[in-house]
Amino acid sequence: MASIPSPTVRHGLFEGYETGNFYDEMFVAPGEPRPHYAKLFQKLGAMAPAQFEERRKLADLSFLIQGITFTVYSDGQGTERLFPFDLIPRIIPHSEWERIDRGLAQRVVALNLFLQDVYGKQRIFKDRQISRSLVYSCPHFRREVIGIEVPRGIYTHICGIDLIRDSKTGEFCVLEDNVRTPSGVSYVLENRLVMTRTLPDAFQAGEVLPVHHYPNELARILRSLSPRGEDDGEIVLLTPGIYNSAYFEHSFLAQQMGIELVEGRDLIVDGGIVFMKTIHGLKRVDVIYRRVDDDFLDSLTFRSDSILGVPGLMGAYRAGNVALANAVGNGVADDKAIYAYVPDFIRYYLGEDPILRSVETYICARPKDLDYVLGHLPELVVKAVGESGGYGMLIGPKAEAKKIEEFRQRILANPRNYIAQPVIALSRVPSYDPATRTVGGRHVDLRPYCLYDGKHVTIVPGGLTRVALQRGSLVVNSSQGGGSKDTWVLRGEE
Amino acid sequence: MLSRIAESLFWLARYIERAEDTARILDVNYHMLLEQSQSYRLRWEPLIVMAGEENRFSQLYGEANAENVFDFLAFRQDNPSSIVQCIAKARENARTIRDRISREMWEDINGLYYNVARFNPRDEIAAGPHRFCDEIKFGAHRFHGVTDATMPHDEGWQFLRIGWSLERAEMTARLVDVQYQNLLEELPAVGSADNHQWMAVLRSVGASEAYHRQYHSSIEPEKVAEMLILHPLHPRSIRFSTSEVRSGLRALSGTGADSYANEAERFAGKIVQRLSYDKMSEIFKQGLHGYLEELLGMCGAIGDDIARTYFYYAVVA
Repeated sequence: MASIPSPTVRHGLFEGYETGNFYDEMFVAPGEPRPHYAKLFQKLGAMAPAQFEERRKLADLSFLIQGITFTVYSDGQGTERLFPFDLIPRIIPHSEWERIDRGLAQRVVALNLFLQDVYGKQRIFKDRQISRSLVYSCPHFRREVIGIEVPRGIYTHICGIDLIRDSKTGEFCVLEDNVRTPSGVSYVLENRLVMTRTLPDAFQAGEVLPVHHYPNELARILRSLSPRGEDDGEIVLLTPGIYNSAYFEHSFLAQQMGIELVEGRDLIVDGGIVFMKTIHGLKRVDVIYRRVDDDFLDSLTFRSDSILGVPGLMGAYRAGNVALANAVGNGVADDKAIYAYVPDFIRYYLGEDPILRSVETYICARPKDLDYVLGHLPELVVKAVGESGGYGMLIGPKAEAKKIEEFRQRILANPRNYIAQPVIALSRVPSYDPATRTVGGRHVDLRPYCLYDGKHVTIVPGGLTRVALQRGSLVVNSSQGGGSKDTWVLRGEE
Repeated sequence: MLSRIAESLFWLARYIERAEDTARILDVNYHMLLEQSQSYRLRWEPLIVMAGEENRFSQLYGEANAENVFDFLAFRQDNPSSIVQCIAKARENARTIRDRISREMWEDINGLYYNVARFNPRDEIAAGPHRFCDEIKFGAHRFHGVTDATMPHDEGWQFLRIGWSLERAEMTARLVDVQYQNLLEELPAVGSADNHQWMAVLRSVGASEAYHRQYHSSIEPEKVAEMLILHPLHPRSIRFSTSEVRSGLRALSGTGADSYANEAERFAGKIVQRLSYDKMSEIFKQGLHGYLEELLGMCGAIGDDIARTYFYYAVVA
């Protein structure tokens, strides 16, 4: 890591760019691109900032007209916003991707086996690999689904697993698992589309692996779950509606897969069977790709005030008359305390060593860990175990004393609800700042999307690169000022 | 097709049509000002009456003049049938079903929404409504064109067709009703040379050229009314529009020509039957206003029964 002041780059768009004390995905040192970035550097580097600005505006307009927006609720009334898109792609060399691909597949299979076990025979408790109380106390553990036989034994049909590259080691590691209703894959596809339209010259013919097969693969898996057989299955996507922040994605995926996009009010359960209300009467539904959280799925089983779900749905699920993807109760596997045990799951269920490293995690439910965490709060990142989207988080080194104290009280009040991890210096990718019309290094993560059909894990090459567009920020979530980039996995040398 | 989606398609088409019709009427009426004769004062009240918004309007403005009426019908957010509100609601409906319409249709409606939002009411009121109304008219035409070019003529399309045709029939009926009463009161004598306003009525439905080809005569109120009510082929006549509604309804239920499957079809059949055999002289004898009121009542009943039959039927579970 270069700690001496870096010489600046004198080359068009990248003029004055500094790599800083972080792993830079594009440059080894200022002006010296990594081999897999060499061609892109040639193309973009030759571009004048004004020219680049013009392309950027085109890309924004394209997202706006297509209505690719998400809704933010910070001001009390939902406002539609563009998800900022940065035109400089994130490139992953093929050899590195191969390893990520194997590591993710291994992890998804282990997580699925864990869920099968927890809601089934519960071998793992008997073998004392993890305590029953830790699992049962997960906020998203669902006692109601114990003993339900899910179609083909699949719980984790769709997983979004967040990876980061640690600047210290230059290695990818797993930051968290999202196995409930991960979102963002539509941006992977749309980013690629917009990218090929706005910067066609940046693509070197045939070198970037395609991503557009995702909806087909997902549809294939959903079809295979139908209790009436693949050919007769009526598959629907259940959305909370247009006010949900991911609504664009729901409609996009439904359209791409050619399935019906439904809301809770379109469905009805009669005699243990789910139907949808059509203009010609009721029609049976076999598979529901649901983008509604467990809590809101069925007001008879879970939250009774929910109007987003379908009363009686869990009855139909239990009877095996309808398949749900993902399964209910998955939140126990992406709990941030359970996360610390996933490497053990891989060894226990698969008898293999984990391919991808995890981030060192202190579980505040363990007294020894708790002591350490309370003694080192200013150095740690603290997270609430059941939260996602970057909420309920403390970044110690950046927090004021008052906020640290507030978290100390919260942790003491409910240690089970918190974990802590060392601060990891995320790698950076050059990103364009429209305000200053310059390019600067911004921190990124990577969320690949994994599809599991019970036998194989299919992962679309790359995934969503989220970027913290605010200078110095580490938070990449779209709800908190993050944006995204097109992510390229290069074709390997045959 | 899901009932909810059918309903959104129906309303999407209605709102686009309502925006277009309002824009047409506004534009033409405004331009009559420029070539107005001295013999009578052009009146703006009828436009407010047509929109059925007399109360709201009088609460917001002092008098009905060109600026106020334009502002109210085009831009007011608190007027639910203003053009900007119609476009916003059309887009909202399209958004809930964007997976069911073609990408081109969605992008077109979404683009229209952003275009309309860009207009500054103050500037437009100063410049006159032509530029704004043109944008709406062409936006609506593009919508029809893109729909025709990219959407299969399936059940969903039938709901769009029923939506815009029913809205158009109602708007034309209101236009004739309001203008006829108004003009007969205002004009010195029927058949006088001062027929600009009737010209305007024809132009607002894009029918003035067709009128001249059909009648080879000067503008006569009775003939204008005949054209707008009874013409079998002009796309904006009530007869044509309601027969489109009937065809759409029959396509949905698969009913043959001599029967009906629901109340909506029965009313649509009744209207088309009457308009096919009634003569203007008979209509005048009965009273034009009463006749149009009756048609409007039946159009309302068609809308209600479509909702009962296809959107909100009772489900016994």
